[in-house]
Amino acid sequence: MPPSLELPSYLSQSPEVSERFEKLRNRPVKLKVENLSKKFDTPNGEISALNKINFQIFRREFISVIGPSGCGKTTLIRILAGLDFPTSGNVFLEGRKMEGPGAERGMVFQDYTLFPWLSVKKNVMFGLEIKGLGKLKAEAEAMEWLDIVGLGKFADAYPEQLSGGMKQRVAIARSLANRPEILFLDEPFGALDAQTRSSMQAYLLKIWQNVDVTVFFVTHDLDEAIYLSDRILVLRANPGEIDELIEVPVPRPRAPGQFLTPEFLATKKRLEELIRPPELAQNDEFPMVRLTEVGDEVE
Amino acid sequence: MSEVKSKSREHWFGIRKDLAPGRRTLLTVCSFGIPLLVWVTVSYVPFIWHPDIKLEISADRDGVTTVFTAGDRVSKEFFPTFVEAVRQENRKVLDARVKNNPHFVSRRENIKRLRHLAPLGVANGWLKNNERQNDEKIFNLWKQLAEGELASRAISLSQENLEIIEENWILLSKASPTFNLKLYPTEALLKLIPQGISSNPVYLPAPHEVINAGWLDFNTVPENGMPTMWERYRHSLNIIFWGFAYSCLLGIPLAILCGSFDFFSKLHEPFVDFFRYMPAPTFSVLFVAFLGTADAPKIMLVFVGTFFQLVLVIANTTRLLENSLIEAAQTLGAKRRQLLGRIILPGILPNLYNDLRILLGWAWTWLVIAELIGEKTGLTGFIDTQGTRYNFDRVFPVIILIGLTGFFTDRLLNWLRYLFFPWTEEVRQAPKGLLTRLLLSSTDRTTYFK
Ligand SMILES: Nc1ncnc2c1ncn2[C@@H]1O[C@H](COP(=O)(O)OP(=O)(O)OP(=O)(O)O)[C@@H](O)[C@H]1O
Ligand SMILES: [Mg+2]
Repeated sequence: MPPSLELPSYLSQSPEVSERFEKLRNRPVKLKVENLSKKFDTPNGEISALNKINFQIFRREFISVIGPSGCGKTTLIRILAGLDFPTSGNVFLEGRKMEGPGAERGMVFQDYTLFPWLSVKKNVMFGLEIKGLGKLKAEAEAMEWLDIVGLGKFADAYPEQLSGGMKQRVAIARSLANRPEILFLDEPFGALDAQTRSSMQAYLLKIWQNVDVTVFFVTHDLDEAIYLSDRILVLRANPGEIDELIEVPVPRPRAPGQFLTPEFLATKKRLEELIRPPELAQNDEFPMVRLTEVGDEVE
Repeated sequence: MSEVKSKSREHWFGIRKDLAPGRRTLLTVCSFGIPLLVWVTVSYVPFIWHPDIKLEISADRDGVTTVFTAGDRVSKEFFPTFVEAVRQENRKVLDARVKNNPHFVSRRENIKRLRHLAPLGVANGWLKNNERQNDEKIFNLWKQLAEGELASRAISLSQENLEIIEENWILLSKASPTFNLKLYPTEALLKLIPQGISSNPVYLPAPHEVINAGWLDFNTVPENGMPTMWERYRHSLNIIFWGFAYSCLLGIPLAILCGSFDFFSKLHEPFVDFFRYMPAPTFSVLFVAFLGTADAPKIMLVFVGTFFQLVLVIANTTRLLENSLIEAAQTLGAKRRQLLGRIILPGILPNLYNDLRILLGWAWTWLVIAELIGEKTGLTGFIDTQGTRYNFDRVFPVIILIGLTGFFTDRLLNWLRYLFFPWTEEVRQAPKGLLTRLLLSSTDRTTYFK
């Protein structure tokens, strides 16, 4: 069934969806970003990676960031997680000003970053032991989390023995076991194949629905952003600024079947307009490179 | 899982292609076999090199101060001249005797001439090594050889020499029928003509000579209170152990600090970098001056030789640890001390271990220098003494022992990585022998799913 060409506006929300956003907005603010700027000094002059970024995230919200490559998504998430310092501006977690990294802000990196010398279970226990939990308690809790991500029987394996998707599940379990207030994920599924990626998305949604955690998710995959998020933060490059903060009109609970619904497609169309400048699409004058004719005149 | 033999596996020379296991083993055997074979061939096949003659029977020429004794080597060019000169002397003695105007020499000179038979007696086992000057035994030897009661097996006497033995015995037995030095003749006896076998120069002893010398050295207790070889060995190991241990004890913590904190790196590394270019042996005089002549300056030298390299190498290894692991730990709540102890240390450990293996190899080099400063001790002390005496057959076993010790410690340390670091890529990929698998299954440190 081809989708109708007449798409609704991405701004029009069904009553349930708008009611949900109403409620979300009344929740306490989890993370507040104020006038955040980041400049890099490079040999070719100063780069303004982020310029005066302002937004706030509510408790248990799922927020995604998309934008063209090099627009500052990684820079932003690293500053929020405390791994980099902003040039100016502040980050508040429940009103407390944040400086430096901490256990209350978990992070999942694109390249897994599991500790190779620890077994899967010990990896998950790491944060718990740091917190001062006893070994037995930490172990029990780690096993619980491994069962949640479906890797209970790999508890004693080393990370290198797992596939990419499994590693990323361990990384997620490791972060969540720490019970962070907010979880940052920087293109966590970027290196996975399409199949694994979609099952990982389902996993993440399910976990998020059952855990009290706010999620801040960086991706460059539009479908992924729409499928997972409550709101989508669209960044623009040079200087990195917020283009738009979109409330996703697709109702929850979500399922892969929604990829072709009018709300979904409308949102996707808007995102495409935002991050793909139209002039690029038209330029299809391609220089002819030695092409041997097949001779059957089929293009 | 067995791999189907593909075409590319058939090649001996494929860039970055592993050879079949059988071929690899063969090549490993060859890597030791070929040098050994070369040594054996050069040693035992006479026409390959053998530029010298090793004297079995020697003679002293009149009026020539250079003395060759049995066991010495002379070049093949010189040997005929040597033999001819002795023959000439004998001919003069015989001529004089025929003209009834015999030469007379001191009794002492004749005794000396008779003693030149002693090496032959030793070689045949008729004389003990310390009986080379036992004139009574030597007297009996002349008698028995002349009368045909004994025949030399170890050294085949030339016809010429057999005749000389008979000729001399006639003269000797006439003057002194039984052994009595006072009755020895003063009429000149004939000299034995030098005899020898084709041989390599003294610095290339044959395998059996090396084995024999080594066997003797390692199984006899030297007189005059010198340490036995095993004591020397233990002494050497002791010095290298302590030198390297102090180096690790001080160097590793400093290096990890330098690799982790820019503060320590900038505070220490420039000086360390400068100091390591000053060759450690140049300080040996200094060490002896303030540490005495016992082991302390030797240990100090090994320490100084390895410490500065170690700090730089391991600081660098520390810096190579992926930063993302540290960041991941930080987002899990780890603070500075936990990062050092739980992330940096275990993270760099496999590489640090490999670095230490390489540095330990250098420590052996320093050991050799260390043992020569102050009082010469240990294996190197022995090598030095025997080397200056040209006893190279006794030097080689020690050199080989040092080589084997280094080699096998390294193999052992390499193998222990399977136990210590089962999680590393190299260990997991490496084919494991029976012993390794046994070792791994006895520890519950790994689980294999695939
Ligand atoms: N350490 C740095 N030094 C200098 N410039 C930097 C540094 N880190 C990032 N930048 C610059 O800042 C800009 C934003 O980079 P960032 O990595 O945040 O982009 P991104 O949105 O994550 O891109 P991608 O989608 O490719 O991951 C880029 O122009 C980049 O060149
Ligand atoms: Mg990025």
